[in-house]
Amino acid sequence: MTEHHNIKRINPRRAYEIMTNGVKRITLGLNSDYVAHEVSLHQTSNKPLRSPKKAEKRVLVIAHSERGTLDDHAKQCLAAAAILADAETAVVALVLGELQEDLSNAGVDEVLVMDTLDYQTFQPDIELAFVKNIITSLQPSRIFMPDNLIGDGDLGRRLIASQPEKLAATHVIEINNAHIANYQLGGNAIALASFPYIVLLAPDAADTSLPFSASALAIDPLTANQQMRHAQTPSYASLGMQTIDAAKIALEEADFIVSAGNGVSNVQTLQTLAAALDAAVGASRVAVDDGKFSRDKQIGATGKTVSASTYFAIGISGALQHLQGIKDCRHVIAINRDHSAAIVKRANLSLIGDAEEIMQALISAIAEAKITAITDVKLATQEAA
Amino acid sequence: MSIKNIAALVSVGRHPVSGEARHCRNDSLAMTLGLALTSHLNATETNTVSFKVLHAGNANNTALKDYLALGASHIDMIDVAAESLIIDALAANLTNTDLILTGSRAENGLDSGMLPYQLAEKLGFSLVANALAIQQTTDGLTGGLEVLQFLPKGKRRSVTVQLPAVIVVHPLAPVELRHAYARQVTGTINQQASPLTHATPQEKTLKWQTETILRKPIKLKARENKSGHARMLSATVSENKGGAVVIEGNSVEKAQVILGYLREHRLINF
Ligand SMILES: Cc1cc2nc3c(=O)[nH]c(=O)nc-3n(C[C@H](O)[C@H](O)[C@H](O)COP(=O)(O)OP(=O)(O)OC[C@H]3O[C@@H](n4cnc5c(N)ncnc54)[C@H](O)[C@@H]3O)c2cc1C
Repeated sequence: MTEHHNIKRINPRRAYEIMTNGVKRITLGLNSDYVAHEVSLHQTSNKPLRSPKKAEKRVLVIAHSERGTLDDHAKQCLAAAAILADAETAVVALVLGELQEDLSNAGVDEVLVMDTLDYQTFQPDIELAFVKNIITSLQPSRIFMPDNLIGDGDLGRRLIASQPEKLAATHVIEINNAHIANYQLGGNAIALASFPYIVLLAPDAADTSLPFSASALAIDPLTANQQMRHAQTPSYASLGMQTIDAAKIALEEADFIVSAGNGVSNVQTLQTLAAALDAAVGASRVAVDDGKFSRDKQIGATGKTVSASTYFAIGISGALQHLQGIKDCRHVIAINRDHSAAIVKRANLSLIGDAEEIMQALISAIAEAKITAITDVKLATQEAA
Repeated sequence: MSIKNIAALVSVGRHPVSGEARHCRNDSLAMTLGLALTSHLNATETNTVSFKVLHAGNANNTALKDYLALGASHIDMIDVAAESLIIDALAANLTNTDLILTGSRAENGLDSGMLPYQLAEKLGFSLVANALAIQQTTDGLTGGLEVLQFLPKGKRRSVTVQLPAVIVVHPLAPVELRHAYARQVTGTINQQASPLTHATPQEKTLKWQTETILRKPIKLKARENKSGHARMLSATVSENKGGAVVIEGNSVEKAQVILGYLREHRLINF
């Protein structure tokens, strides 16, 4: 006679991991077949693969890099492509410009890098010819590009115009497997359409945090590169880039901002530091209210929203209203006396100490570094001569 | 080749609050840049340069009068039978043009920013977008235009482009719009029937469905198949998002940490 028990059996030899500190740990819900495995210290990603299956189809994400990395907007396109791709579809990233970061956590299965097509050089005809070559050889089922002003919005529109038989949408603010949406009538209406072949994605349409990773295998685009060289006489030429003097630029446009809060006692030191870093100057509301800075320097909910790559917050506590103004900043560096200040949680790097002292030390260090850089260049040119 | 014929394309915009039809600011910038270039060339070059302002679309629109007030002495209006004919109608009217100026994004339709690209493709013209300023290239040989382009983060780029070309003007172009009622009264609008009367079989286009209420877009997020353990973790432990925190060391060492970070991420070049 058999007795049926509803008591759940627990295997005493369940899967465990040996943590980096040597402690065994059993993780419930993790099915790893009773084989104990060690967690490697060198694992780049501990997230599961999005799809272990062999890819039958591909989706293509095209974006320009800047300083060797893809910006958040481009990563949102990668994330959107990866989230919407099914298990048989690989996400291929075509990076125009050099790439020095790993894209496996951005959901990319294969990476093609074309470093000569840097965003700083204006060569839209060459870029278009190259991209069309890649599309012909990869035959992607969908194409995603960030609708930005560093070349992708322009290249994407050229691509769309050059193949009018393909469906496309620009300024896409909402995307899912059923439809895409954008603003029309001057932003007064949301309009929906079914998923087209090419999507130019507006910023913030997709969340970049992914619960999976991918292999990010590098592919050599050399063959396409050679074909590209046969372009006729170019219609375009770049005469050069210029960067507007940081002190004159509008804060919203600045790429590097040194910002002062209530913890900055000596405004002159901060101005000197900003000049040394070729940065624009911003301020918290308290610093503005104190009369240390003009109102147009205020950053935050009731001030300006900035999107600098580098935001250097000095003596700023990081109140919510202030953080709202810097949500798009990629690198936040903070100097604060208090290691529990809210800005420390937001910052990528925090230095705990007195603002004036660290600013002075940094000004000297920058001056020294600049002199070394100049002598290095001189030595190099002497050697070359 | 020097510039002989310049055209600016204008569309009907809408007031951001009332929704009332009026001029489109982006197109007004393009038109004003064109007017300025035309009068500059006419003052400095021997041959005369002609300038025309062109609108394709719905007739009897009072908004066009705004462009007269803003400096156009005359507007050619092409009455097109259907929206799908606009590109063809414009292209047919612009074949002998050397330089076409447009705004960067319309306010009263799909607002896709595609029109200049489609027009350039149809005419086989070059195209430069995000233009802040334009001038004829100084060495007459190249027969081109020098364009100052807007790039984000305080960057600008000078490029040259071969004519004929379409130039898309950026909203931040340093152009002052001057409204004069007297010009609105003296200016004329000339309506001409489009040579294209019936729609040619259209290329495939997306079928857009406009929603009745304006809502916030929904951000695409990955669905997480979290284990019970992971869910418990995320409920109890707030995500530690902070970066490196340096407490120890003197100011000189901390300054070096900052420099190291800036160098590592190539945010400085020394
Ligand atoms: C409706 C509303 C809208 C607002 N809008 C804005 C806005 O747009 N922008 C904005 O900034 N604020 C805004 N605020 C104000 C905001 O809530 C904060 O009060 C303000 O941002 C604080 O500024 P702070 O960080 O400079 O000053 P504090 O909060 O006084 O912080 C100073 C920081 O400096 C540190 N410090 C002090 N001395 C030193 C030293 N010697 N060395 C190093 N660190 C030091 C302290 O540890 C502290 O963290 C708004 C508030 C409200 C209610």
